[in-house]
Amino acid sequence: MIYRETGNFVTNYLKDREIFPLKFDKIIVILGLLILYLYVPTMSEYALSAHIVPILAVGLATVGLNILTGLTGQLSLGTAGFMCVGAFGTYNLMLRVPENFMSLPVALLISGIFAGLVGVIFGLPAIRIKGFYLLVSTLAAQYFVWWFFNSYAWFLNYESSGVVAIAPKMYDYWGLGNLLGVDMQGYPSRYLLALTICLGLTYFAKNLLRSNTGRNFMSVRDRDIAASVMGISVPRTKLLAFFVSCFYCGVAGGIYSFLYIGNVDLMIYEIDRSFTILFMLIIGGLGSISGSWLGAIFVYEFPIVFTWIGDYLFQGAFNTAVVENVSNMVYGVFIIALLIREPGGFAALWGTTKQKLRMWPYPH
Amino acid sequence: MTDILKVENVTLQFGGVKAITDISFNVKEGEICAVIGPNGAGKSSMLNVINGVYLPQIGTVTYDGVARRSINPRDAAIAGMARTFQNIALFQGMTVLENIMTGRNLFMKSTWLEQGLNIGRAREEEKINRLAVEKVIKFLQIESIRKTPVAKLPYGLQKRVELGRALVAEPKILLLDEPMAGMNLEEKADMSCFILEINKEQGITTVMIEHDMGVVMDISDHVVVLDYGKKIGDGSPKEVMANQDVIDAYLGVSH
Amino acid sequence: MDWVYLIEVLVGGLMSGVMYSLVAIGFVLIYKSSGIFNFAQGTMLLFASLTFVKMTENGIDFWTALFIAAGIMVIFGVATERYVIRPLANQDLLALFMATVGLATFQEGFSQFIWDSDVHGLQMSKFLDIGLLDPAPIFMSDHIPWLDILIPKFDIFASLVAGSLIVVLAFFFQKTKTGLSLRAVSDDHMAAMAVGIPLQTVWAVVWAVTGVIALVAGLLWAERVSVSFTLIEAVMKALPVILIGGLTSIPGAIVGGLVIGVGEKLGEIYLADVFGGQGIELWFAYFMALIFLVFRPQGMFGEKLIERV
Repeated sequence: MIYRETGNFVTNYLKDREIFPLKFDKIIVILGLLILYLYVPTMSEYALSAHIVPILAVGLATVGLNILTGLTGQLSLGTAGFMCVGAFGTYNLMLRVPENFMSLPVALLISGIFAGLVGVIFGLPAIRIKGFYLLVSTLAAQYFVWWFFNSYAWFLNYESSGVVAIAPKMYDYWGLGNLLGVDMQGYPSRYLLALTICLGLTYFAKNLLRSNTGRNFMSVRDRDIAASVMGISVPRTKLLAFFVSCFYCGVAGGIYSFLYIGNVDLMIYEIDRSFTILFMLIIGGLGSISGSWLGAIFVYEFPIVFTWIGDYLFQGAFNTAVVENVSNMVYGVFIIALLIREPGGFAALWGTTKQKLRMWPYPH
Repeated sequence: MTDILKVENVTLQFGGVKAITDISFNVKEGEICAVIGPNGAGKSSMLNVINGVYLPQIGTVTYDGVARRSINPRDAAIAGMARTFQNIALFQGMTVLENIMTGRNLFMKSTWLEQGLNIGRAREEEKINRLAVEKVIKFLQIESIRKTPVAKLPYGLQKRVELGRALVAEPKILLLDEPMAGMNLEEKADMSCFILEINKEQGITTVMIEHDMGVVMDISDHVVVLDYGKKIGDGSPKEVMANQDVIDAYLGVSH
Repeated sequence: MDWVYLIEVLVGGLMSGVMYSLVAIGFVLIYKSSGIFNFAQGTMLLFASLTFVKMTENGIDFWTALFIAAGIMVIFGVATERYVIRPLANQDLLALFMATVGLATFQEGFSQFIWDSDVHGLQMSKFLDIGLLDPAPIFMSDHIPWLDILIPKFDIFASLVAGSLIVVLAFFFQKTKTGLSLRAVSDDHMAAMAVGIPLQTVWAVVWAVTGVIALVAGLLWAERVSVSFTLIEAVMKALPVILIGGLTSIPGAIVGGLVIGVGEKLGEIYLADVFGGQGIELWFAYFMALIFLVFRPQGMFGEKLIERV
């Protein structure tokens, strides 16, 4: 009996709040961190660039959307728009602010703040508008942001093709690469930056969820009149949710453009990107941070795995159109099936599995 | 004893329907005041007016010495009003502990940044407020269900949790909307004990809407009777029960 | 001020508006009867028109193809009710909405999987020349000269079709017993069940009817944008329409459609310069809806959400 949940007695309230109360879990986490920081950077460039870094980006965006839609109940289809603000913000900060004052990690975080502020502006209507009607606000954000960056070529540094490739020197923050003799543009270092940001922000989100702010978010989601009667300021809570959520999405957008694709390109941030993130959220489970990551991995990897199956088992029978269509069908079926059987998504499935394992071999 | 709450000439209208017509009554500090009356008499609406959820067209509510036409529900909470709802307004997505913790939100001063980083003030506040919440949990005897999602609880227990959520805010005045609705005899006895103890031990003024006459007679100090939006009785329980108008209203004599 | 041009723009906007309303009505029907915000409305349009087009391209004549496509949409509607909506009937509306999001993705993949992802031009006018309106002195493919304004005849036809559909539906809802049942179900489906209204049947009917409406709307829209993925974009535009009109109101869908149709065109032509760029129609409709909703959060004719505490 290595993994024991019993015999774990909590002696004070702070211990009761821990994210990983079991000692075994703590060990797993430490091991996991060691693997993530020491082993993974040595993996192939393909693994890092085509799988791990993009998942970090979209997973972070899913966590962001989770804060807004899963925790606070404010439906949003503008995720890609906020990611776009982050990407463009990072690019322009790196481009225009003198080198000594700006570097990539800082730019990512500041552009996240820009995205957060944009989110607050489009979140203002949420004070008056409720329910499905609120979709109009985030949709307006999505289309407006896209149009805005498309119309004012200044943001793309007047690049006529509409796509800017990110200059190599933008990756070298504070000359660190030169100092350590490391290629900062290489995928291992990109990965490490993305990983650190994602881990940090996920930890932050998890804490938020369990804190007074998180409870405020959820109370606004569940019964906002009761919330206000208890002294919670519903408008302030909603706007905070928009800010934090869009901050996450903005940073995710920056990571996506800078650390994954290497381009700033409007086509990445169209409305179907918003939908994809929404699928990740629903499949992973609303309200669960770990669920968001599970959902992101599933939705991102499925087309890749499916193509791979086609290539290896059916001699490349699946072309891109087929892969896309089948993926959409699968996402649709999963969403519906999960809603019917396990509305909490993959996260809840995992919880149910654990419960079954606890009871095993008894059925219940 | 001073009047902590004074309702003066309140009239509340929804379109053409007058929910409350020219009602006035006073609540003394520290008393248990029961608001009774047949269904549709305007009792919940009255509570909603006091609490700021509804805005009356005419009249003032004087609370704690300050007279107002209307109050923002949030300001009411800050001023020390706490309440429960007729149809249980618990947060279905959270556990019992989390629900009751939300009742402490006015005591939590740390910023979201501190809470996200789980440092300093945020940690301390979680500890301190958890202590306050645990006291109430112990008082209401719901320790065993503290980690249960409220959606899974039976009705009677949910009502108890809701009382806990209101209590934990350390209010000056507790507004309870049918706290015993749907309970059996045993649950009602428990609930009455809790309400009495809260009132006697902590001196919290309680205004409660209640249908069970036995409970009303047993635990309230002051009874206000409403019918069709008007006040038809106001006094001690004995006085009110002897009032012919009240008897008529309950027996359904047309008027 | 070029008045003729302005009128032309207005009329064009009105026609657009009617088309939007047609899509919006499908949404409203379902929302009205079940409280479900049917995100799959657009993909239903796509599926319906793709099915139709593939048949006509393979030589099946217009009316047969139309009936078969309508039949398929009815089956699809019933199947949706049975396998997607019914199992979720006891969950909250957000879950049902997400189910329609799932349905939409599924449908998007499915339509293009079994048919294909190409763009199919659809000349409705060709079909309708044949034997539909004779003896018609005018041919559908030309424009009517009227006050020197060019109005595509097809647009008039589309408006007539849309208009009559709207009238039929409005009549259906207000005056018939089934319509009454539908309204009861939309108010409170548990209560409707309690008084004996056959919920499953009602919903199956609604989804089937919406499927057929989607077919009609899809075909009319296809004339403008061809049958392809972009058809779904048309639906995204219908969202501000229903939101302005109110999610529960058919007249609202009509009025909302007209408002957006006209507003969009006007904005595009007269306000584009102010914003220094083309393509403001991308977001203009949404902003219109947004500003409108801030003042009337439930839309023009929508039911005010009264929360009882």
